[in-house]
Amino acid sequence: MTVFKTFLKILNKNKFIVIMYTAILLIFGAANMQTSENSMSYIPEKPDVIIVNNDNDQGITKDLIKYIKKNSNLINITGEDKINDALFYREANYIIYIPKNYSEDFMTGKNPQIKVKNAGDYEAALAEMIVSRYTKVAATYQKSIKNENELIKKTNETLSKEAKIKTVSKIDSTSLEKAAYYFNFESYSLLACLIYVICLILSTFNDDKIRKRTIISSTDYKKNNRILLLSNCLYALVVWLLYLVVSFILIGKIMFTAYGLIYAINSLLFTICASSIAFLVGNIVKNKNTINGIVNVIALGSSFLCGAFVPQTYLPKAVLNIAHILPTYYYIKTNNDLSSLEIINFETLKPLFTNMIVLIIFTLIFIILTNIITKSKRKIG
Amino acid sequence: MFAHNFKYTLKTLIRSKELIFWTFAFPLILATFFYMAFSNISKSEKLDIIDIAIINNNEFKGNEVYKNAFDKLSDKENKDRLFKITYTNEDKAKQLLEDDKIIGFLKLEDGNPRITINKNGIDQTVFKYATEEISQTSDMVKNLSEEEIKKELISGNINIDYNSIYQNVDEMIENSKTNLKDVSNKNLDYVMIEFYTLIAMTCLYGGILSMVTINQSLANMSSKGKRVSISPTNKKTIILSSVLASYLVQIAGLSLLFLYTIFVLKVNYGSNIPLIILLSLVGSLAGLSLGIFIAVVLKSNEKAKTGILIATTMLGCFFAGMFGITMKYITDKNIPFVNKINPVNMITDGFYSLYYYDTLNRYWINVISLLIFSFILILISFAGLRRQKYDSI
Repeated sequence: MTVFKTFLKILNKNKFIVIMYTAILLIFGAANMQTSENSMSYIPEKPDVIIVNNDNDQGITKDLIKYIKKNSNLINITGEDKINDALFYREANYIIYIPKNYSEDFMTGKNPQIKVKNAGDYEAALAEMIVSRYTKVAATYQKSIKNENELIKKTNETLSKEAKIKTVSKIDSTSLEKAAYYFNFESYSLLACLIYVICLILSTFNDDKIRKRTIISSTDYKKNNRILLLSNCLYALVVWLLYLVVSFILIGKIMFTAYGLIYAINSLLFTICASSIAFLVGNIVKNKNTINGIVNVIALGSSFLCGAFVPQTYLPKAVLNIAHILPTYYYIKTNNDLSSLEIINFETLKPLFTNMIVLIIFTLIFIILTNIITKSKRKIG
Repeated sequence: MFAHNFKYTLKTLIRSKELIFWTFAFPLILATFFYMAFSNISKSEKLDIIDIAIINNNEFKGNEVYKNAFDKLSDKENKDRLFKITYTNEDKAKQLLEDDKIIGFLKLEDGNPRITINKNGIDQTVFKYATEEISQTSDMVKNLSEEEIKKELISGNINIDYNSIYQNVDEMIENSKTNLKDVSNKNLDYVMIEFYTLIAMTCLYGGILSMVTINQSLANMSSKGKRVSISPTNKKTIILSSVLASYLVQIAGLSLLFLYTIFVLKVNYGSNIPLIILLSLVGSLAGLSLGIFIAVVLKSNEKAKTGILIATTMLGCFFAGMFGITMKYITDKNIPFVNKINPVNMITDGFYSLYYYDTLNRYWINVISLLIFSFILILISFAGLRRQKYDSI
């Protein structure tokens, strides 16, 4: 009991750390949950566009703006500096400057130039498609139709030819992707929380003076170690449960399905693995002041390399290859694979099980390493 | 005395492993992580070749317009190539879609294109747009040819050369180019902001150095401080030489980070090198004054002071966009006051304006804000440092 009480005392002193990492998880988790759309039917992607219209709002200009408005999200920002900022931070992907006398020049066949600014991303390419599609169709008809209203009518007729589109997915991929994002980010919070606290506790108990005292005390050292181990495991479990409860609140419905169960099991396996890393580090580190640095390097490092912050698909190949030697990689891979799984059965889950087994093997390796190190350290000079 | 204290402060700072880790090594490690994680983001923003399938039924085989258009869109020689196409039957296409080998497939049915996808996304929308463009073009061909034929008939011409009409119409469509001119700045890589916040963070973390040196000359903070305080040396000399030494170490750490990010990670800070150096020096000064300020004004132990300095810096980094670049934009736009007094943002924004803006107004506003920030903090600190007396320590 004494050991457990001491454990709680140290934990209580450092509760700020746990609260902080939980808050970070909450903020980033919640920030990603905001845009929830039902993805079971087709919703066209709409680029964010700013139009700066220097022409009068009539005729072909008016219709062009109407067409762009229908196919994109028009953003209302004025002032050149603000527009430039919006483009840089991708609030807008595409900026269209309609020149003076555009509609008049257009009707006389001059094909006036439209200046654009381009963020160079997917959405910008889409916006360019929208603008060039309209101007191309209108410019073609302009050669034979001289009446502006008739031209607009004919252009719209052609542009209304749309392709029929059908979605065959049975799963709600948006919610699953959000769940995967949450659990991927959780790997950072779990690692940081567990390593920091467990290291601190172990290094407190491993302090030479305190160790000497516990060794000569009447309590069996095995019992001592057992209680210490159990209390650390209990702490890890509590953190895992806490994050699971948060996930139920943030993600909701999908957590009550088989998908949710697998996410939970996977994160439990990772929690155990993270605790074993924490034990290993806690037994190596002597100086309490270095813990902070080590936690940051391990937690941030594995999160950046394995795709907890930036999705794995965006990471360079070389980085992902390095990431194979880290357990976080397999944890995150399972989450990502799960989010795109259409049917859940033994066959489809096989690759996921492989990842989980790798995670367990990592845990075993860390436990064995810890044993080797503690054995060599048992004697105090 | 100045040189003596300067030399020993320098030695103490450099020999403290913990200080050197946080001010030298940690920024380098973070920069490496940023580079590894973000280096592909700007590249992956570009449109990739999209994998699709087309149902190779009789209707598609007989439709020249669609066949030619898709051939062109998937031509390896074409620099605007959009698609990689598998021609197959419907069952196989469904299987490919299920295995995520393609993003969707197209089937022509009664002259109408039908697209099947399994999730929403930009690729899917591009696929739809490209298909629509083909059907719209064929609609235009139909309309314009009909018009031409009508004209010929009205003019009484019975021997209509259909082929030449189609050719004319085709040419007409081919020649109607859209006239767009891209005038955007080429420096649009917003990942750079991450590196700018990192530089800013390093500038402010440098405050730990000046804080430690000030603590060492405060009688209530350390035994060295007690000895220094009762020595007959001028306090101004002690403080100035200590602060100068810490500034020097700070600049050394920052230079290391600059060299590493420029030559190894290829970060682009813009081309105006004197202004980059000026901004870094002023930024470091802001960090230095923050360190002094916290050391003097707060009456608590060293651990708490360090904690507060790091927490302040991190909060500043949060608003300046280190943990999500959009945060900087949101703050700038909605609560500009926060970023106007946030030194991390002043430094980040300074670099941003050098990188992205053609004019220097915004840059100078940031530099002057940093100077004002430093000046105020140093003024308060010096007022606090003067004539200190202790009844008991």
